[in-house]
Amino acid sequence: MATFFNTILVGISSGSIYALMSLSLVLVWRSTRVVNFAAAGQAVLSTYLGYEAMSRLHNYWLSLPIAVIAGALISALVESCVMRPLAKRSKGTAVESIAPVIATLGILGLIRGVAGLIWGNTFLQYTSPLSSKGFTIGHTTIPFSPLNAAIVIGAAIVLAIFAAIFRFTRLGLALRAASFQPEISRLSGIRVDQIRTIGWAFAGAAGALAGALVTPTAYLSPNSLDLLLVSGFVAAVIGGLESLIGAVVGGLVLGVGFAFILQYIGTQVTFSAAFIILIIVLFIRPQGIFGRGGSREA
Amino acid sequence: MKRNGPATRFLISLGIGAILLFASGHVDELRAYQGAQVAIYAIAIASIVLLTGFSGQISLGHGALMAVGGYAAVIAQIHWHLPYPLTFLIGGLAGALAGYVLGIAAARLRGPYLAGTTLALAVGLPSLANQFHILGGEQGLPFDVGTAPNWIGKEFTQYRWFFWVAVTAALAIFWLLRNLLSTRYGRRWRAVRSNPTAAALAGIDIAKAKVLAFTLSSAVAGLSGALFAMLLGLVAPLAFTLILSFTLVTGAVLAGVSNLGGSIVGALVLVAIPELSNVVATHLGGSDRVTANLPGVVTSVLLIVTVLLAPNGPKIPRRRK
Repeated sequence: MATFFNTILVGISSGSIYALMSLSLVLVWRSTRVVNFAAAGQAVLSTYLGYEAMSRLHNYWLSLPIAVIAGALISALVESCVMRPLAKRSKGTAVESIAPVIATLGILGLIRGVAGLIWGNTFLQYTSPLSSKGFTIGHTTIPFSPLNAAIVIGAAIVLAIFAAIFRFTRLGLALRAASFQPEISRLSGIRVDQIRTIGWAFAGAAGALAGALVTPTAYLSPNSLDLLLVSGFVAAVIGGLESLIGAVVGGLVLGVGFAFILQYIGTQVTFSAAFIILIIVLFIRPQGIFGRGGSREA
Repeated sequence: MKRNGPATRFLISLGIGAILLFASGHVDELRAYQGAQVAIYAIAIASIVLLTGFSGQISLGHGALMAVGGYAAVIAQIHWHLPYPLTFLIGGLAGALAGYVLGIAAARLRGPYLAGTTLALAVGLPSLANQFHILGGEQGLPFDVGTAPNWIGKEFTQYRWFFWVAVTAALAIFWLLRNLLSTRYGRRWRAVRSNPTAAALAGIDIAKAKVLAFTLSSAVAGLSGALFAMLLGLVAPLAFTLILSFTLVTGAVLAGVSNLGGSIVGALVLVAIPELSNVVATHLGGSDRVTANLPGVVTSVLLIVTVLLAPNGPKIPRRRK
């Protein structure tokens, strides 16, 4: 029974990271109808910048906001320099739906390559001061560690800030309006292009936080966040790809699901589990938990 | 554009084959290896062109389908002791089977869902090899096509022989695909890609056409995976990474995504880039870091620029009616 609860706790910890990555993908999807495969690259780059900051300031907690701000800027740059011109050029052509996917892959490859050029392909350690050794309650040590707790708290704070911005501010209203009805928003005086860039910036920040929080539990290399991207995508699909709450719930569900698979089946299935869960979700409930009915057409 | 019939195309293929095979006798082993690489990439890229350019579906997981083909061919050789040309066919069949299953899921998905699902496949499938003893784990399994038979000539080197096999397969595949695309199947796929609604109204079963395209494309990918295994001499999870899947998509985009002949150009570019950037890297001082990452950077920049400047690919003037 204790194992059962521990598994859930560990699942919630990794689930909050998936939730952040999933949120990043959903924010981009809502604002520009693109699944941003470059998110893994953007997060890796911002994490490397966080790593640089830490090696100079020797303080993980200071490097965290630096990584997040860098992530937001990188993402805004990607949107305004590549994705926006591309959307205008490919509009109405046969490749309109495929070109953005390919462009994000190009950006992913570019960032990976550049990161490899600067920092090399070796595994770097980006460590947090918190112990990854589990809490001790009475005489038993549980797998849930202070680092896990920090991940959950950090993710929860950022999710709360995002929710508040979306619900209570004019910017949040503009973000929602621009993704829901771009033409009408434009007529009501919203600068849709700028709003989209801001949407991407928020997404970049969420992805950067995911990267900076998950990396201390493993290592940093140009492609160390690939699996996080896939998990984030699966979580987003579980949540319905449209809904921000769905993204978070999807992340947590996936995290707990993964934790049980790891606990009761074994670590070797991690990579294939994401694919199998995705296929099951798409067959059983293709619109996701929070998605509206109708077909899954882009 | 003048249209050639199947017979003319056959003769053209034979001609190209003869020239290439003659040329292969006059280059060193490295070039023969690269030639074989181009032929194999060309087949794999053609499978993407068939899928994306002609039926409007996207796949980021064709590297995984190549893995399916490669492993199937190797297993057919190890456990059934089949001669190697048959193992290639087995590779193609296994790819087709995997593609059929995936295609049924894919026909229900569009755009981002399909891209994401195939991406998850590319990440997940090769690592399956670590879980089944029969697949050889991390080290993979050896694949031995052997050396050239004696009747071709004694001085035939290993890679020149691989080049022969790969080029023969490539020409056969291109001939088949070219003919297939000018049948009613090809016309249906184009109709489905260009305007699904109109295609449905014209009585085309869209789901069926898409599944067929996915199956066929996967068969071609499977075959190229078997050839890839031949060139590497083994199959292992690390040979079929996500990077391979992305590389194929890149090649297809560079080729012009609805241009079958362009696959060869795309394949040439993909093989040439590492070669050229190696030269540049050596000039720059040649640290490992630069040599390992420069090709990726160049390919990615090329991909972004191509998609920005010519989303349809660099060299297809779209035919207007």
